[in-house]
Amino acid sequence: MAEETFVVEFPSSYKWLNMIDLMCAEITAGMDFSRDAQDEISISVIEACTNALEHGNKCCPDCDVRVVFRRLGDKIVVEVTDCGEGFDFTDYLQHIPDPSDIHKKRGRGIFIMKAMMDTLKYEKVEKGGMKVILKKMTDGGGEEDDE
Amino acid sequence: MKYKVREEGNVTVIDLSGKLMGGYDADVFRDLVHELIGKGRKKIVVNLAGIKWINSTGIGILITGYTTLRKNKGDLKLLNVSKKIESILYVTKLNLIFECFEDEHEAIGSYTKG
Repeated sequence: MAEETFVVEFPSSYKWLNMIDLMCAEITAGMDFSRDAQDEISISVIEACTNALEHGNKCCPDCDVRVVFRRLGDKIVVEVTDCGEGFDFTDYLQHIPDPSDIHKKRGRGIFIMKAMMDTLKYEKVEKGGMKVILKKMTDGGGEEDDE
Repeated sequence: MKYKVREEGNVTVIDLSGKLMGGYDADVFRDLVHELIGKGRKKIVVNLAGIKWINSTGIGILITGYTTLRKNKGDLKLLNVSKKIESILYVTKLNLIFECFEDEHEAIGSYTKG
C-alpha cells in the first residue's frame, strides 16, 4: 500500500475530539487491524489530542492542535502537535505515576498511550510546542525497526 | 455529556450519555455529586450505557466523584461499562478501584449486601 497522509488542524476545544475519533475509525478501516486494535488507536490518539489541547495549549481556542495520520502498509503513524511550552518528556516518561493512584490528577493519558500503542515518542518542536508520535503495527506487520 | 438522575430506593442512578471528557463536564458532574451528598444520597450507581466514548480526563471526573463520595461515607459504582471503557480501566488498573456491573438490579442490590 502506498503511503497515504491525512492532516487535520483543530482549535483547542474538546468538542472536536469526536471528529478525531471518527477519523481514526475511517483511516484504520481497511488496514490489517483487529477491532480491538482500532479501538486502541482511537483511544490513544484522543489521549494525545486531549493532552495537546489541555496541557499544551491550555485550552486556548486560538491555539490549534495539528494531527497527521500516515497510513503505511504495515503500520499507522500519528503525530499530534501542540503549540505550548513543552515539558521534560524524558524524565516524565521514566516517572509516570501509578495510574491506579486515585489521588494523582495526571499521567493516565500517557500511560494509556504507552500500553495501547507499539511506540510512543515525544519531540520538542523548533518553533515551539510538543509533538507526540504514536505508532502501531498491523496484525500482520513486522517488528518496529527504528527503535 | 448529558445526565438523568433516578432514585431507586436508597440508591441513586445517574444515567450518563454522550461523551465524558474534560472542561464543563467536570464541573457539572462535581456539582451533581455535591448536590446528591447534600441531600443525603450517597449510594450512587453511574450508568455508562449511553456514553459513546471517554478519555482519561473523563475517567478523572469519575475518580473525583468516587473520592468525594468515599470521603462522605458513600460510594460510586459503575454500570454498563463498554468494552472500550473497560479497556481503559484495565490498562490504568482502575478496574481494581471501581466496582463494575452489567445488571442494574445487581448494581443496586450490591448496596444492601455486606
